[in-house]
Amino acid sequence: MAPPEVFSLSQQSPVTCHAFNADRTQVAVSLKSNEVRIYARQGNDWNHIDTLTEHDKPITSIDWAPKSNRIVTSAQDRNAYVWQQSPDPQTGHMVWKPTLVLLRINRAATFVRWSPNEDKFAVASGARAIAICSFDPEGDWWVSRLLKKPIRSTVLSVDWHPNNVLLAAGSADMKARVFSAYIKDVDKRPAPSVWGEKLPFNTICGEYASTSGGWVHGVAFSPSGDVLAFVSHDSSINIVYPGGPAIYSIKLSILPLVTVTFTTEESVVAAGHDCQPFVFAGNQGGWELIGSLDDPQSNKSSGGARSGFGAPSPVGRLNSAAFNTFRNAAERGISNVPGSPTASSATESELFTVHQNTITSVRPYEGVPGNITKVSTSGVDGKLVIWDVNAITPVTAAGLAGKMNKLHVR
Amino acid sequence: MDVNFRKIDIDQYDEDALLDTELYESDPRDPAQALNDTKQNAAAVRSSLSRNDYVGALTLVLENAPYGPNVEEAKNLNLQTLVSILNSTKATDIPGIVKALSTDAQDTLMKYLYKGMALPGWGDVSGSVLLGWHEKLTEVAGTGCIVRAMTDRRLV
Amino acid sequence: MSNVLRPYLAAVRSTLTAALTLEDFSSQVVERHNKPEVEVGVSKEVLLNPLTISRNENERVLVEPSVNSVRISIKIKQADEIEQILCHKFTRFMMQRAESFIVLRRKAVKGYDISFLITNNHTDIMLKHKIVDFIIQFMEEVDKEISEMKLSLNARARVVAESYLSVFNA
Repeated sequence: MAPPEVFSLSQQSPVTCHAFNADRTQVAVSLKSNEVRIYARQGNDWNHIDTLTEHDKPITSIDWAPKSNRIVTSAQDRNAYVWQQSPDPQTGHMVWKPTLVLLRINRAATFVRWSPNEDKFAVASGARAIAICSFDPEGDWWVSRLLKKPIRSTVLSVDWHPNNVLLAAGSADMKARVFSAYIKDVDKRPAPSVWGEKLPFNTICGEYASTSGGWVHGVAFSPSGDVLAFVSHDSSINIVYPGGPAIYSIKLSILPLVTVTFTTEESVVAAGHDCQPFVFAGNQGGWELIGSLDDPQSNKSSGGARSGFGAPSPVGRLNSAAFNTFRNAAERGISNVPGSPTASSATESELFTVHQNTITSVRPYEGVPGNITKVSTSGVDGKLVIWDVNAITPVTAAGLAGKMNKLHVR
Repeated sequence: MDVNFRKIDIDQYDEDALLDTELYESDPRDPAQALNDTKQNAAAVRSSLSRNDYVGALTLVLENAPYGPNVEEAKNLNLQTLVSILNSTKATDIPGIVKALSTDAQDTLMKYLYKGMALPGWGDVSGSVLLGWHEKLTEVAGTGCIVRAMTDRRLV
Repeated sequence: MSNVLRPYLAAVRSTLTAALTLEDFSSQVVERHNKPEVEVGVSKEVLLNPLTISRNENERVLVEPSVNSVRISIKIKQADEIEQILCHKFTRFMMQRAESFIVLRRKAVKGYDISFLITNNHTDIMLKHKIVDFIIQFMEEVDKEISEMKLSLNARARVVAESYLSVFNA
């Protein structure tokens, strides 16, 4: 069982999103700032080689088109840029040149993804709209059309159907929806699918919600495009078979998942606030939790003296380091709040999982759609991890509940 | 100069904004029917309790729990019935009972526990009993259950 | 620690763990702003149900979660007038120095003695479980602190009274 490859890209700032280039030699990340940093791989290290600066608010999402080698970024400053490499007139080096996209949205852009053919991309936004952008050769810029109805709140994530026309979107109004993003000049008429036959722009092909509500954090189409998975804030993962019509909803005993991707037609990897990627598998007959790619138990034994979450300390009992910090703060005004980077407590309270904080995104890393063999995750702890999707540590539903209790309730 | 116009809340005219009522599907039953159902449940619970069938009693209360606005009376009655069950259970029996409940019933029970704790001193509500149940329920159903008590707008 | 306190703190701990599932969320009402939604309270859909954990009427915790921030308010046990005064002075002292505590709110929510506001910026730079530890620890400490202060206050009052009355004893 190959252990995951772990890279620490930053010590203190979170990695909000990441995108690899086609051959996985470079990665573009945002460290919760207004810059895109590009790292190149050298052996087991990632070296910072380039910084893209054009946004003036934190970047929310990055996508790197594998075939056309273009990067698209979105940020809270309501803008999106398409970056393309071109030779610098003076030095001849290849540099990334930005092109502004005419988004026509007036709130933050929250999520961006290239379509499979890379001739358009979708930008989700807080303006209760999704901008579908395509290139206008006459004006030499990217123009957008807005998907508006019936979105009632910030759109948190989108995913493209393999046919380049349909788009799934999850939003804070607790709904996951499937839209048609058909643009006449770009797309050929799509073949009829389980989602519908005639698909003019802004057709709603489906609207789904989890029973206990909760914002829909992540959506994903299966490789065939016939199945939709979404994760929402009520700690559930839902698999939709539109032809069925059936929705399989798995309520989990753990903290909510925020990001999801299909690895094969019959399995998904999802991760989130519980700091480890979980694998779910199933088919039209039903879905279940298979296990985790992380193995907190073995990390615990190899980690030796790490105490903290899982340690059998009585609930509410103070560990003395945290206790002292608070007393220092209260009595002497020393602002050494536990968990702050200056506190010496960082080593003694690590989690047993590889990621030490929420996982922000999980994306396919190796393999072809339908048979992904490795996935990459980035987390709030500044780590980038590459996992072998077949190295699953099994957890039964009951065992997970028990383990999670040890991890979190105490 | 009149500056009162500055205090007008213009956001309330935002047509796209979600309203409370649109956040969830309301209880299909009308208030009178909900109250009636709850009363019948309460009677059935008493007979289950006399047979020491705690799981059955809890399931009765939790399955058709009234939710949403306009059913305050039914909600209160249901809470009262639930609290009477919780109070009459021995602490050592709690883990077994909680495990026997369905996931949906566990979620609803969590909602009721928080509701009860928000009303200390109301009726027979006792903080220590509710806290005891809360601890055992969290051990079985995990933090996910608490997250669902937060996200679910179908307030009991 | 008393056995009665344990389930109370356990409930607070698990509720906080569940509530500290925050993410970056830019305001959908005001453009280019990013503020704690629990304080703004305009977008209903990004607020979650507030939860109360209570031991009795005098000791309770209110957790108000939202998409990018959680507000935690604590009502501290006050058995008599001295404890009320001590508690008021103690929380006032802390709240005046709120910036040193990072997550402390300058003003308590109505009906509570002290409030904390934790945003996604805090959970990004600190470990979530350490923040939970901090709050739990604060709750344990504050009770102990106040009863200690009460004891030393009583002791001092006794010494003062003794030395004052010893004049008449002679």
